[in-house]
Amino acid sequence: MENRKEKKGILSIIGGDKLILLVAIVIVFVLFTALNKNYFSWTNIVNLMIAASLVGLVAVGHTYLIIAGQNDLSPGSLAAFCGTLAALLLSKGLPIVPAILIVLAAGVAAGLFNAWMVNSIKLEAFIATLVTQNIVRGFAYIICDGKPISISNKAYLAIGKMRILTIPLSVWLMIFAFIVFGFILSRTRFGRSVYAIGGSKEAARLAGLNPQRIITTCFVIIGVLTAIGGIVFSSRMNSGQPAANVNLEFDAITAVILGGVSFAGGVGGMFGTVLGVILIQAFNTGLIMVNVSTFWQYVARGALLLFALTSDYIRKQRREKELLEAAMKNIK
Amino acid sequence: MSSVLEFKGISKYFPGVKALDNINFKAYGGEVLAFLGENGAGKSTLLKVLNGDYQPTSGEYWLDGEQKKFSSPHEAIEEGISIIYQERQILLELSVAENIYLGRMPASRRLGVIDTRKANQMAAAIISDFGLPISPTDKVKDLSIAYQQMVEIMKAYSRDNLKVICFDEPTASLSDAEIESLFEVIRKLKAQGKIIIYVSHRMAEIEEIADKVAIFKDGRYVDTVKVGEVTEQQMIRMMVGRDLGDIFADLKRNDRIGEVLLEVKGVSSDYVKENSFVLHKGEVLGFSGLVGAGRTELMRAVIGADKRKSGQVILEGKELANRSPKEAMDNGIVLVPEDRKLQGILSNLSVAGNINIALMDRNSNGLGIISARKEAMEAKKGIEEFRIKTPSPDKKIVELSGGNQQKCIVARGVGTNPKVLILDEPTKGIDVGAKSEFYSMICEFARQGLGVILISSEMPEVIGLSDRIIVMKSLRIVGEVKREEATEDKLLSLGMMGEE
Repeated sequence: MENRKEKKGILSIIGGDKLILLVAIVIVFVLFTALNKNYFSWTNIVNLMIAASLVGLVAVGHTYLIIAGQNDLSPGSLAAFCGTLAALLLSKGLPIVPAILIVLAAGVAAGLFNAWMVNSIKLEAFIATLVTQNIVRGFAYIICDGKPISISNKAYLAIGKMRILTIPLSVWLMIFAFIVFGFILSRTRFGRSVYAIGGSKEAARLAGLNPQRIITTCFVIIGVLTAIGGIVFSSRMNSGQPAANVNLEFDAITAVILGGVSFAGGVGGMFGTVLGVILIQAFNTGLIMVNVSTFWQYVARGALLLFALTSDYIRKQRREKELLEAAMKNIK
Repeated sequence: MSSVLEFKGISKYFPGVKALDNINFKAYGGEVLAFLGENGAGKSTLLKVLNGDYQPTSGEYWLDGEQKKFSSPHEAIEEGISIIYQERQILLELSVAENIYLGRMPASRRLGVIDTRKANQMAAAIISDFGLPISPTDKVKDLSIAYQQMVEIMKAYSRDNLKVICFDEPTASLSDAEIESLFEVIRKLKAQGKIIIYVSHRMAEIEEIADKVAIFKDGRYVDTVKVGEVTEQQMIRMMVGRDLGDIFADLKRNDRIGEVLLEVKGVSSDYVKENSFVLHKGEVLGFSGLVGAGRTELMRAVIGADKRKSGQVILEGKELANRSPKEAMDNGIVLVPEDRKLQGILSNLSVAGNINIALMDRNSNGLGIISARKEAMEAKKGIEEFRIKTPSPDKKIVELSGGNQQKCIVARGVGTNPKVLILDEPTKGIDVGAKSEFYSMICEFARQGLGVILISSEMPEVIGLSDRIIVMKSLRIVGEVKREEATEDKLLSLGMMGEE
C-alpha cells in the first residue's frame, strides 16, 4: 500500500510519458553496454554529453518553435556556416570577442530571415527554412572556397577544451540553456505566449498577443543557440568545416518530439526535451560504438523519428479520447 | 413499398458538447420531413451521422430494414443517401455532365477511355427530367448559384439507387423564383417515393414544402408534427422550450444611458466599406444584418484586427490608433470573437490559462515572470464572477460545455477592465439556459457603465437586449432602429433590401 502510494507520487511528478522515456533511456544504456562494455564508462558518458551539447542547444530552440507551431530545418547548415565564419574571421586576424559577436549576429540574421519569410510572405516554416538551409549551406562553402579553415587562436580553441568540474564547457552551456530557457518557457509572459500562439494564432492575437513578434523571437533564439553550437563545434574540431553538421536539425527535432512536444503545436515542455536529447544521443553514440555502418545509422535514425512521430500521434489520440470522456462525464 | 429510415438511439459527443442525445424517430418515403431547431440543436450533426461524415458515439440507423453504417460520405452516396449542402460541393471548372458523373463517367470497357458523348446524353436526359434550360456541356462556373445547386441535386438523382436526399439550408442564397423551381424538383423527388429531409430556419418555406416537421432542441429530438396541424407559435415553443419573450421581459435593463463613449467615423478596411456610428456609456448597441453584411469586419477594423484603411476611432474624446487588438485592448476596447473554436479559445490551455492570457501584463513583474498566486486569484475571480462551471481552474478549456467556454472568453475580455465590450454572436451554438445567463450578464455590463456592442443574427436577441439597433447590408450601415420601434420584419427588410 505504502509502496504503491510512493510510486504514484513519482508518477505524478514526472508524468507517465516521461517515465516511459526514462525507461527507454535505461533500456538503451543497458542494451549498448551489453554489446560494448566501454559504453557505460565515464569517458564515453562525457563524450556522449559533448556530442549531445550541439543537438541539445538546437533542441532548446526547436522546443520553442514547435510549441509555437513552427519549425526550422536550417540549424545544420547554420551551425556549419557559423563555425566556418568564425574560423575565417580568426584567420584574418580578428580578435576572439568581435569574431564571436559577428558569428552570433549571423545567427540572429538567419533567425530574422526565417521569421520574415514566415511572417511576411506567409510561407510554411518547413519550406521557408528549407530555403535557408540551402542558402546558408551555400554561403558556408562560398566564404571558404569549399575548403575547411583551420583555427589557431588559442583562446578560441580553449572553448572546446575547457572543463569545469571535469565537465566540458559545451556541456555546461547546454545545461545552462536547458535551465534558463526551461524557466522562461514555463514561468514567463513570453513562454506563455509561445504556448498560446501554438494553440491558435488568431485567438492569441485577438486576446492581445503579437504572434509575429513571438515567432520572430523564437527564430532568433534558435538562430543564436545554433550559432553558439557552431562556435563550440568548430573549436572542438580545431577548424571551420563547411560540410559539417548535416542533419543536425533532424536529431534535434526527433529529440523534441520524443520528449513530448506535439508536432501540432501548443503542447510539451523543456524537461521532456532534456530526456529526448539524452535518449537520441545515447542511441546515436551506441550505434557508432557497436559498429553499425553509417548507412544503416541513417535508417535507424529515420526509424527513431518515425517512432517519435507515432508516439506523438498516439499521445494526441489519447488526449482527445480523455477529453471526450471528461466531456461526457461533465454533461451527464 | 415506400422506404423507411429509422434512427435508433443515436448519440454523438464532442469534447464539451453533447451534440446528439439519444435520437429516435422515423422518416418515410414520399414525404418531405423538415428538421426544425435552433442553431446547435443538432440538425446538421444528425445529417453528418447519417452520411458517414461523423460516426455516432452510440446508436444505429436502419434503411428499409437494413442496418447502415458508413465510414465516409462517399460510401453513403454509393448506397443512395445524398446530402445537398449549403456550400456547393461541385467542381466549377468541369462541365455539368462531368460533375453529375464525377468519378463514374461512362467509359469504354477495354481501355477505360471516357465516353464524353455518352455522359452528355445521359446528363441531357436528367436535365430534361428536371426541365432546366442548361446544357450538359456548360461549364458549371458559368451557371447561377441556383443552377449549380441543381447540378448537385442531379448528381444525387443520377444514382439509380437514390433513396434518401437531404437538403441542408438549400435556399440560403436563392431568389424567390429559384426557390420555387427548387421546390418543383423536390415535389418530383417526393412523387417518386424518395425520403426527403429538409433543414431550414425559414418557417414559411417549411410550411410550403414539408409534410411533417421533426423538432430538435439542444441535441434532443422533441417530436414530429404534421404541417397544418400545429401553429408556427407552437412549433417555436417546442424548439425553444419556453417563450423567449419571458426571458427578455425579466431582464434588469440599464435605464440610465450616459454621454457619448465611442465614436467611429468613416472606418473602413479591405473587408468593409466606410461606416460611422456612435456608442454611449451604459448602452447596448445591437448590430443586425445578414451573415456577410460586414458587421464582424467593421468591428475588426475598429480594434485593429484588420488594417484600418480610413476613418477615426474616438474613445471619450481621444482619437485611438488601434493598430493591433492588443493596442485596442490597452485602450479599453475588447472584442469577444464570433468563432469561438478558432478565434476565441486556446484549446491547448486550461480554463485559468485562457482567462489569464490577456492579463499577463498585470500578473507578471518587470522581468516578465508570471506570479502563480496572482494568476490563481484572477482565475478564481473570473470563474466566480461569470459562474463558469468547471471542476477546477486547471481543467482544459475544451472539456467545458460551449456556454462555459464562451464565459471564459468573456471573463478574459472583461478582466482587462474595458470601456467598450464588443460581443460577436456571443450565444451562437450554446443552449438556452446559458443564453439567458448571457442576457443578464450583458444587461449587467451596461448597468456598470460599459458600452456594449452586440452583433447577433438572432432577431429576438438583438431586439430584446439592445437600446438601439444598427442594421448593415453589403458592408455598409443602412439604417438605425430604436428599441421601441424594432420588429423582426423591420430589421429583416432593412437587412435584405436596405430599406424598410
